[in-house]
Amino acid sequence: MLTRNMKITCGAFLLAVFAMFMQPALMPAANASEAAATASSVASAPAAMPAPAASAAAAPATAAAPAAHAVTYPPAPKLTAADYPTIPGVNSRVAVWLVAQLHLWFGAFVVAVPMFVFIIEAIGMATRDERYDNMAYEFIKVSITAYSLTAILGGLLSFCLILFYPDLFKYMALIFKGSMWAYALLFFAESAVLYIYYYGWHWLQGGNKKWVHLTLGLLLNAVGCLLMFLANAWTTFMMSPAAVDAAGVFNGDTWAAIHNFLWNPINIHRVVANVAYGGSIVGAYAAFKFLSAQKKEERAHYDWMGYNANFIAIAALLPLPFAGYYLTAELYAYSQQMGITLMGGVFAWIFIIQAVLIGALFLSANYYLWCGMGRSEGAYRYNPRIKYIAIVLVVAFLVWFTPHTLVLTNSELKDLGGPYHKYLGVLGIMPAKNTAVNYLLVFTFLSFMFYRRANKVATVSWAAAGNAAQIALFTAGLINITILGVYHGYFTNTVYKVAASIPQVLTTLVIIIVSTIIDAFMYKGAKDVAPLHWGRMPPRSQYALFLLAVSFTWLMGLMGYVRSGIRQHWHISNIFRDGSPDAFTPGLGYVANIVSIGTIMFMAMVIFVFWLSTISGKHVVAKGYWKEQQA
Amino acid sequence: MTNFLKVAFFSLLVISGFWGFSNFGIPQIKPADPPVEEKVDLGAMTMDQFIALGKKNFDGKGTCTLCHNALGRAPMLDKIGAVAAERMKDARYKGAAKTVEEYLMESLVKPSAFVVAGFGKSGTNDTESPMPDVTGGSIGFNEAETKAVIAYLQDSSGSEVTVEIPKMAPPPAEGAAKAEEAPLKTAEEVIARHGCGGCHKIAGQTGEMGPDLTRIGATRNKEYLRQAILDPDAVIAKGFTAGMMPKIYGEQMKAKELEMLVNYMAGSKK
Amino acid sequence: MSATPKRMIPRLLQMALVIVGVYFGFILFFDVLLGQLIPKSLLTMYMVFVVAGVVMVFTFTEQGAQELAGPIKALVEDPSKKMMRNVVFVIVPLLAGYYTYSSMLLSFEAPVELRTIHPAPPNKFKAYGKSYNLTTLENPYRKFEKEDPAKFKELVKEGGDVYIRNCQYCHGDKLDGKGPYASGLNPTPLNFQDVGTIAQLQESFLFWRIATGGPGLPAEAAPWISSMPVWQDFLTEDEIWKVILFLYNYTGRQPRSWAHE
Repeated sequence: MLTRNMKITCGAFLLAVFAMFMQPALMPAANASEAAATASSVASAPAAMPAPAASAAAAPATAAAPAAHAVTYPPAPKLTAADYPTIPGVNSRVAVWLVAQLHLWFGAFVVAVPMFVFIIEAIGMATRDERYDNMAYEFIKVSITAYSLTAILGGLLSFCLILFYPDLFKYMALIFKGSMWAYALLFFAESAVLYIYYYGWHWLQGGNKKWVHLTLGLLLNAVGCLLMFLANAWTTFMMSPAAVDAAGVFNGDTWAAIHNFLWNPINIHRVVANVAYGGSIVGAYAAFKFLSAQKKEERAHYDWMGYNANFIAIAALLPLPFAGYYLTAELYAYSQQMGITLMGGVFAWIFIIQAVLIGALFLSANYYLWCGMGRSEGAYRYNPRIKYIAIVLVVAFLVWFTPHTLVLTNSELKDLGGPYHKYLGVLGIMPAKNTAVNYLLVFTFLSFMFYRRANKVATVSWAAAGNAAQIALFTAGLINITILGVYHGYFTNTVYKVAASIPQVLTTLVIIIVSTIIDAFMYKGAKDVAPLHWGRMPPRSQYALFLLAVSFTWLMGLMGYVRSGIRQHWHISNIFRDGSPDAFTPGLGYVANIVSIGTIMFMAMVIFVFWLSTISGKHVVAKGYWKEQQA
Repeated sequence: MTNFLKVAFFSLLVISGFWGFSNFGIPQIKPADPPVEEKVDLGAMTMDQFIALGKKNFDGKGTCTLCHNALGRAPMLDKIGAVAAERMKDARYKGAAKTVEEYLMESLVKPSAFVVAGFGKSGTNDTESPMPDVTGGSIGFNEAETKAVIAYLQDSSGSEVTVEIPKMAPPPAEGAAKAEEAPLKTAEEVIARHGCGGCHKIAGQTGEMGPDLTRIGATRNKEYLRQAILDPDAVIAKGFTAGMMPKIYGEQMKAKELEMLVNYMAGSKK
Repeated sequence: MSATPKRMIPRLLQMALVIVGVYFGFILFFDVLLGQLIPKSLLTMYMVFVVAGVVMVFTFTEQGAQELAGPIKALVEDPSKKMMRNVVFVIVPLLAGYYTYSSMLLSFEAPVELRTIHPAPPNKFKAYGKSYNLTTLENPYRKFEKEDPAKFKELVKEGGDVYIRNCQYCHGDKLDGKGPYASGLNPTPLNFQDVGTIAQLQESFLFWRIATGGPGLPAEAAPWISSMPVWQDFLTEDEIWKVILFLYNYTGRQPRSWAHE
């Protein structure tokens, strides 16, 4: 029964992830009408109100353009250091940086949680298994305080911007005034839906009421995503400004500013990353509860919860490199200068740090799965195979980690006869890394498959054939990935080098999807080898979950810096120059300091949020404190 | 509680691991400081290009060739590198320059430090130069542009170029800066800004290159005066040559300023 | 759970042997077999991940973890191992001390210098008294490769002449960075045959690097210890474009481009 649920979870989740890929593609329809509505509500000429706002996708947006033109926009101001207010003892950039990053961490968490809560609730409804419903409720319960913290941090962020960067804020606010107004309204909607969803959980149970509740969950997700997409628009406008001339005079409507070049790539990347991140954070929660649990049932419950959280994180982690790759490709397409700054210049080393962090993510997720095999005796037969997976993972990871520019001592430089290494240099460039990442993904998936079938024996008649088909699929896929990487990466010109990564990705996805389908059928009605004991997990496996959460947080902080940092000394790329003394691009050591401080602050706040969720259930009877009431 | 401490310790350990790797595991590259200005990249300029910039400013923005030409309105500068050394020894020299470069800089910003005999303002016995300060008024050179002109002068007069290319870049293209300036309040301000007095007798100034404008209102109407500013060569007063007065004022002045100036001149009748 | 099986080699020793084996395997593979040593900084990081992977494999089962921890626990707690305990407790701090001492020791080795191999190019640069926009700059002769192969061959040949007269002294007549003067330079001249060099770059990037030479490197690539001359002082624009054709033609590489052909 349980394993069937797992299958459904798996399938539903993969589908959901793909659905999220589609979501931003559908967004223009929703946002165009929204933008048109706000544009007309702001503009002084009411005649420009587009007639049926929701009828077509792009048409209303263009129709609203004349309305926006009624406002004249100033050119981007040319600022000097004197234009930036300072407070003695406060570094304004660091202040804004930390607050923005904290806001983003919490934002990512609270946007993500309702997504998988919604899916888990739906699974619970489909399987009529109450444990799913309870888990979904617990997830939303532990994150409830995080919503208000997100809002507080958001307010603090705009306060900091107004205080320290007033001219930038003014400039941005004028361009985005339409969507800022919508943003505020959406915030009310978000809170209202959230509170009904959370407080009404036990009220809206059974039959039609449950459907109403599920619909509320969908609505909550829709509003949450819309909020994030609006906020993304401001960020991406600063990276790839749209509808502005060289002097920074804005000449479009709000929709044009929102729908800038990098908006959709960032939306996709953030949605996928948020789910993975949210999963890792609730995983850490479950891990902590598991470690401090006294009773056996409690341990079983939190073990199960941690397993699901880890599953969510991995499922979203698998498509994440592709979303990142798409974002980078679009960035190159927008500005080659920005692209080379990102990949070839100062920031090249940041991707080595990123490789270490993602390596930590993959290794800890795999380790958790391997440890999970200890839950049942039936899995022991798979144990000897683990070391081969580990070897492939480590080798793939070493390839991924190898930097293009090697750090060489002078004697090594002499020995090699130059800064180029004949063999390691080959591993330093993109085709090798793409191949390695695909291997990482395929073998992580293999770990997961081993875990799932470890305790099972397939009873269908074609089990042997199915196994053979899967082995063939993996082998053929891996050969294909290797050939694509080696041949196109090194023996054709660069166009194909970049292009070859797409069939590689598709191969990986085909392997994952097809073998999931084969598995689903092959293990239908499979019999268990030995009983599964939830809760029989070594404590060190739980530390893998903490490693996952901490690495993820740190990684997000680092990549947030890169995204922002490639603008270099511009507030808005090539339009609005940063004239403050902090316009310099910080070195990586400095960045690591800030990100580490931010991570510690975030962790402390998350612990506070989780702690709050526990005290609401506590009830102390203070005997003799209250006056005895006469009956 | 021990669990909490263990987990906190573990998390801090992980964070410090990442922190340590970023600080000590990889080479620390200090990214380049942002460029001082976005427009002209002086850092990448060679001296030849800098001299070329000087020539451009000498012929163009500086309007120097209006007077420093074969017509003899101002001294020729083709041997300035050589004569500058003699001038500094001259008894009439009032400046503080020690080198040719300093002399040139001084003569650009304080033209009266040495006035070549016969080229002073009339009535001042060659103690005051009719030349405007190139960093002010309508020319408005910045430091880099002034130095570029000096480099050009040294180079074109065949002496050694001693100027160093300044680190600071010239301001962004004109127009952007000019457009934001508020219109001037009075005609006197307009005259001062555009340096009319360098060539004309007007508003207490005593230029001699162009016609005397102190009583121009008595003989000419507003129509004529406006045209004379916007298109100076349309009608040339007797005794003066065409091509002397720059044709730039139509672009530089605001309509309001032009009208103030025309009214001022039309009102100067005695 | 089954009892701990008797093993030929204890797990802890197994693990240590695997790690040490991989370490020397790397050195053997790169330094001896391939003849290109593995940089120490890279080997250190490689080993960190190898150790992480090995520890994971050795501890993911409860039994494995206990077998690993058992001897260590015994060493600390078992009264019969007192002698060994004392030896270990002396040796380990001594080793740590020695490591700290030797890594803090002053040496005559020059500090590690990092060169950014592909510094981010500026948007525009000046050469020949003109301003070039790097994002749109293209080799004017590249089109003949398709349109007029005979002429293209001629141009490549001319580029080859330019190369032999100017470049081969350092970059070598095989374009492998081993010219007659190469040994006098540190870092040695670029090896164009390497897949990580010109094959990764656009022709405009090469034009920039050749025309402005070592002094034209941006500040970010500092310390620019490049002895590449500023070729715009010696070669014409045409000659540089031709020599670029030659570089790609001879090495059989294609310049990086953004358009499909």
